[in-house]
Amino acid sequence: MAQNVTNVAQTEEVTSTRRVIAASSVGTLIEWYDFYIFGTLAKIISEQFFPKDNPTAALLATLATFAAGFVIRPFGALFFGRLGDLIGRKYTFLVTLVIMGGSTFAIGLVPGYKVIGFAAPAIVFVLRLLQGLALGGEYGGAATYVAEHSPEGKRGFWTSFIQTTATLGLFLALGVILIVRQTLGIEVFNDWGWRIPFILSVFLVGISIFIRMKMSESPLFAKMKKEGKTSSNPLAESFQKKDNLKMVLVALLGATAGQGVVWYTGQFYALSFLQNACNIEFVQSNMIISIALLIGTPFFIVFGSLSDKIGRKWIMMLGMLIAVISYRPIYTVMYSEANLKLKEEIVEKTEKKEKFDVKGADSLITTVTTKEFTDGTKYKETVKKKFPVDPEVRAAMPKDKLKPETKKEVTLPQDLFYKMIGLVLIQVIFVTMVYGPIAAFLVEIFPTRIRYTSMSLPYHIGNGVFGGLVPLISTRLVEFTRPAPGAPPADPLFGLWYPIIIAAVCFVIGSLYISNKTNNLDTE
Amino acid sequence: MTVIKRIFGLLWAAMGLSIIPLAIMRAMQEIAEKPTEENWIFWSIVIVVLMPIISFSLITFGIFALKGEYNTLEA
Repeated sequence: MAQNVTNVAQTEEVTSTRRVIAASSVGTLIEWYDFYIFGTLAKIISEQFFPKDNPTAALLATLATFAAGFVIRPFGALFFGRLGDLIGRKYTFLVTLVIMGGSTFAIGLVPGYKVIGFAAPAIVFVLRLLQGLALGGEYGGAATYVAEHSPEGKRGFWTSFIQTTATLGLFLALGVILIVRQTLGIEVFNDWGWRIPFILSVFLVGISIFIRMKMSESPLFAKMKKEGKTSSNPLAESFQKKDNLKMVLVALLGATAGQGVVWYTGQFYALSFLQNACNIEFVQSNMIISIALLIGTPFFIVFGSLSDKIGRKWIMMLGMLIAVISYRPIYTVMYSEANLKLKEEIVEKTEKKEKFDVKGADSLITTVTTKEFTDGTKYKETVKKKFPVDPEVRAAMPKDKLKPETKKEVTLPQDLFYKMIGLVLIQVIFVTMVYGPIAAFLVEIFPTRIRYTSMSLPYHIGNGVFGGLVPLISTRLVEFTRPAPGAPPADPLFGLWYPIIIAAVCFVIGSLYISNKTNNLDTE
Repeated sequence: MTVIKRIFGLLWAAMGLSIIPLAIMRAMQEIAEKPTEENWIFWSIVIVVLMPIISFSLITFGIFALKGEYNTLEA
């Protein structure tokens, strides 16, 4: 009889924990999805809301891309972290979900610049800031909430489900965009179809809110609140008390900064490198990333679970170390596999087509050149040259306005396509090593009364600032190696030095100063 | 190990300090050579956002390490 009661209690506990994980993970997944669709559709959004000929709008475009990514996220972490430590985890991360879902849905409804003028980029800018703010508050809440429900010795495993959501959110965003784009066609998608992934968010968020509303408060926080032990000023306690500040710093410099750069390099930089340095065609490059993400995702759980057994530290450190050592070799292979100069062209299959159009006062010459190579690689180059029909107007125009637009697309054969997936997958594995155990690591080094605030800030500075800057700084580093404007870079891999240096420093700091001991969560 | 932790503390603090003049000088040099909007945005982000975070955190962390604040943590 007593055995039966114990079994029933255990089954109920497992079911309850599963419900907690599901409710938290689905919400966090949707938040990441919402955040990524803006980034993935940045080019279309820029055309719709931020016209290049308006300098203020162009500046807003840059700020919207970067500000929400790294300036606002830490502020969201502070604001909602404080709230979470004062009023509770459950309601706080419910609010972040509503803000994120609401602003994403609203972006999908904002009329373009052509319809409402400057109000359009201004509204989108504000909505993007709200997205960043909400994301800053969400992750810490979800990780803390799950960790505080998890049984001792299984925290790494249970929180690793939260860790899968960032990658799955990116996968979901890429998947939805690809499906909508393929279904509607490129022109319709660029015209209004891009709004669908944003509008779709409202249904996903609605479901998630419904699930989260039914959840109860974290047991540790509820106990502290009942006993009157919650912090009255979590911000001051987190960052003005030396004992806690030193843990915030070691978390940032020894773990989250390295995690951030490895995470962004393995996913976003890899996609950007495939599209811009290797010129891999849009759908194929997205497929490479999507498949690698899908295969790699279970490893978050593998490494999260392993960290319960052997400790969090060395799994994260090993992930950083292998990334530091292998990034350049991996990207060298990626670059050479797509490098047309190393391939043999089938000259008789080369085709060149020219089309001449007149649109209003402008003439448009489109030249499409297609090539095939012996290994099965296909290449398409589209050059669009637009110029005024009137020779006098043409002569008066600045030279850079007459510069042709060139689009290069490389389509790899199946064997190289799989090889690329493999090369990206290796990087995703590094991501899972550094990211899988990190939620458990962060929640364990801070006390319950200020956990939400304390863990959110280093996470969002590491992931948002150090990681979020990977595309900007790496692209800039490559530019340094360009001998002349417009000339190909002397070292297309030079941009990797930013993540390599940050991860290397983080590895040394983490190895020296982080403890491999897993701590129990306190209730003091 | 505690001695190594302290010695490295000096290195982190020195790194944090040296980043400030290096970044500012590089930014001034690049903007003077090419005062484009792109250059302004890039260096503004580096100087206003990235540099203060790296410098402040490395200097403070270095001082803590130098004082032996992390000696109680088992590596």
